[in-house]
Amino acid sequence: MVYITGSGIISSLGTGLVETETTLRQNRSAIQPLQLFPLLQGSPLPVGAVQDIDQASSLLPRTHRLAGIAAAQAMEGAEQPPEAIILGTTTGGILTTEQLLKSGEQRKEFYQYHSLHTVASTLAENLKCTGRVIVVSTACSSGAVAISLAMKMLRSGQVKSVLAGGVDSLCRLTYFGFHSLQLVDQNGCKPLDVNRQGMAVAEGAGMLLLSTEKTATCSVELLGTGLSCDAYHPAAPHPEGQGAFTAMQKALTDAGLQPNDISYINLHGTGTPDNDLAESKAVRRLFTNPPPLSSIKGASGHSLAAAGAIEAVVATITITKGLMPANTGLHTVDPALNLSPLTSPQLQPATAVLSNSFGFGGNNGSLIFGAIDTFAQSTYQPATPGLAIHGYACLTGAGDILATCEQIRDGLPASGMAGLEIISQNLPSKLVRRLKRLPRMTLSLASKAYENCGLEEKPAAVFMGTSWGALSETHDFLSRLTESKEQFPSPTDFVGSVHNGPASQVAILFGATGPNITTSGGDYSFEQALLSAELMGDDAVSPALILGADEGHQTFSPLFDPSITPGTALSDGGGALYVNRDTKNAKCIISLPFYQSSKTEDVIASLVNSLVAKQKTDAYTVIMAGIPAATKKDGEKQLTRFMELSNLTTPIIRYRTITGEFGSASAVAAALAASFLESGIVPGKLLDGHDLDVTRTTGKILILGLGEYVTAMELFRP
Amino acid sequence: MSPLIEELKVKLIEILNLVDVKPEDFDENSQLVGGELGIDSIDVLEMVVMVEKDYGVVINNQEVGQKIFASLANLAEYIQENSSKTIS
Repeated sequence: MVYITGSGIISSLGTGLVETETTLRQNRSAIQPLQLFPLLQGSPLPVGAVQDIDQASSLLPRTHRLAGIAAAQAMEGAEQPPEAIILGTTTGGILTTEQLLKSGEQRKEFYQYHSLHTVASTLAENLKCTGRVIVVSTACSSGAVAISLAMKMLRSGQVKSVLAGGVDSLCRLTYFGFHSLQLVDQNGCKPLDVNRQGMAVAEGAGMLLLSTEKTATCSVELLGTGLSCDAYHPAAPHPEGQGAFTAMQKALTDAGLQPNDISYINLHGTGTPDNDLAESKAVRRLFTNPPPLSSIKGASGHSLAAAGAIEAVVATITITKGLMPANTGLHTVDPALNLSPLTSPQLQPATAVLSNSFGFGGNNGSLIFGAIDTFAQSTYQPATPGLAIHGYACLTGAGDILATCEQIRDGLPASGMAGLEIISQNLPSKLVRRLKRLPRMTLSLASKAYENCGLEEKPAAVFMGTSWGALSETHDFLSRLTESKEQFPSPTDFVGSVHNGPASQVAILFGATGPNITTSGGDYSFEQALLSAELMGDDAVSPALILGADEGHQTFSPLFDPSITPGTALSDGGGALYVNRDTKNAKCIISLPFYQSSKTEDVIASLVNSLVAKQKTDAYTVIMAGIPAATKKDGEKQLTRFMELSNLTTPIIRYRTITGEFGSASAVAAALAASFLESGIVPGKLLDGHDLDVTRTTGKILILGLGEYVTAMELFRP
Repeated sequence: MSPLIEELKVKLIEILNLVDVKPEDFDENSQLVGGELGIDSIDVLEMVVMVEKDYGVVINNQEVGQKIFASLANLAEYIQENSSKTIS
């Protein structure tokens, strides 16, 4: 069982559970005209802003501070730090970055909190969490997907407590972005209304402390979760709500419940014409007689990555207080929806609440919460670690995997950036005409990994790691916004700027309607994608694609990436693996046996303990070490200590000397390791000059991630 | 052939990055959205921005928008009728 032992919330509705509950009881909308930043044109649009948060005196962006406030509430009374943190966010430090770019700031240190990863790592530092810290970025379902992943991690038995949630702050990117898509209702937000014209962009944070151990005060359980992808369109929902239906249905199955067990549905209900219609179709298809239901977004606005987590906290209020919130803002229900949302708050006991979150890219997540000790534990088989690789691909400055291997056989680096025609060579121009560098690289990698597997079956799930997301689209959106004096931002660039854009393109290409998770964990983003794939286990419809990719951007990469010093030539690329559970016929197997913060007490001893202690000293044929330039000193020390403590004499390849510096270089390393195992040779130029024959050995290839985190991936033959 | 139509062909090819289409192959009377070119709702919004920016014509109603973007000829006609700027 997974218990909710703490919760925290900050949104336009108020700070903390009590204020939130009061606003919901009052059926009051907190949506008001934007005040957070000045506008050059027109009157401000209605937004759901957090009030009374002190203006920053430090560099810490608003998103980070919102997350900190909600996390502190959730951790109140907890005696131990959480063993892991899983956070959904889409904005990271972008509000601060927008201001810095406007003022022409060139000093790198000011951008140190730009990345999504820093939102979670800042929390981890403050809460003294040294375990796995994962950032999920699946647009408006991020918070729900983070909670879903946390549940899988708890069920796997690897940890006993996880702090999970979602956070986003208002910023120009989302404010102007949604407006450019004509998705904002200029008169406030009225979900499910016949005259609804869109959403109100909002901000906030919701956090849950989830635990496998019951505490004296806890009264709510997380019963089940379901993820799906529409694989239909980058921004619009599936018109019949197919993905929404699947997510809800999977959540019910996961919880072991029937539709009539649900007492209340907290709808995604953004107030856009398309979302509400699609969601209503899905609800009516699943529920013959839908239970009481409502969307709270007419009160709170749509806080994007935070929404799923905020509404998860609201679900706990519904269960503990017997309070079903009203569909605030609703005047006349749209008859086309054929639903009867609550027009006023209803006081009624609720034992099970279904909460929906859907996002751009058709990324859907549904969560089910229940009153404690009310429902039987559903049967759940934790996945066995290790995924079978059947196909692989990489992209580097040298080109595709063939070009890359040729280059390294000759002892030449594969760093730099491949031309746009090379990264798009296997993609039809119609497919990629709107796509810039990162989604093109991702689609190219996905197609080549599928081609390489030689199997017919298309991937059904997608797990993608990216440290920086679509930098070109983000840059171009903000540039055009500034150049046009905030008049003509590009809707295409906004849709393309979300971190999960590339993975949703992959889903559309293959019709992959299973889970679709994008992770963003700095230099460990690919490892986080692999970890997510392992955790989702058989829930992730097999087969799946696991990808890691990052683009080099002339302006942004030197400002954001601590490993890129101004003046260094940029490198980029990535890797992709086609995996399933059929280990027998696989080219090789990959697993992730270790992932800890380097702040863990004697982390290298734990690493050695978990890897080498139970194996022979010749367990590894080669070690591929990933040491980001920004943490070179610490990384080298960690590597030296690892070799000392393990007594290994295995040859070491520092793979960033081959790939150049970019966040998801480890994805390239994984693809290369797979190619070494398939060809049976590690090129001598990477070692002491002699080719290393790995055809007959049973040895594994170890890929170490060093620096801020210490991670280990193992690849070996079946 | 109206110069506005010719001008719009070039502009659409550029802003929608229709790399395989040449202005002379662009049929102004064929279905623009949802047709063979693969133009969808996001492209429509990009065209809305262009029409406002370059011709000062605001299109902010979905129903009207559907008629306007039915074909390139329709779009040209709408711009012609509503533009405050002089169009040759």
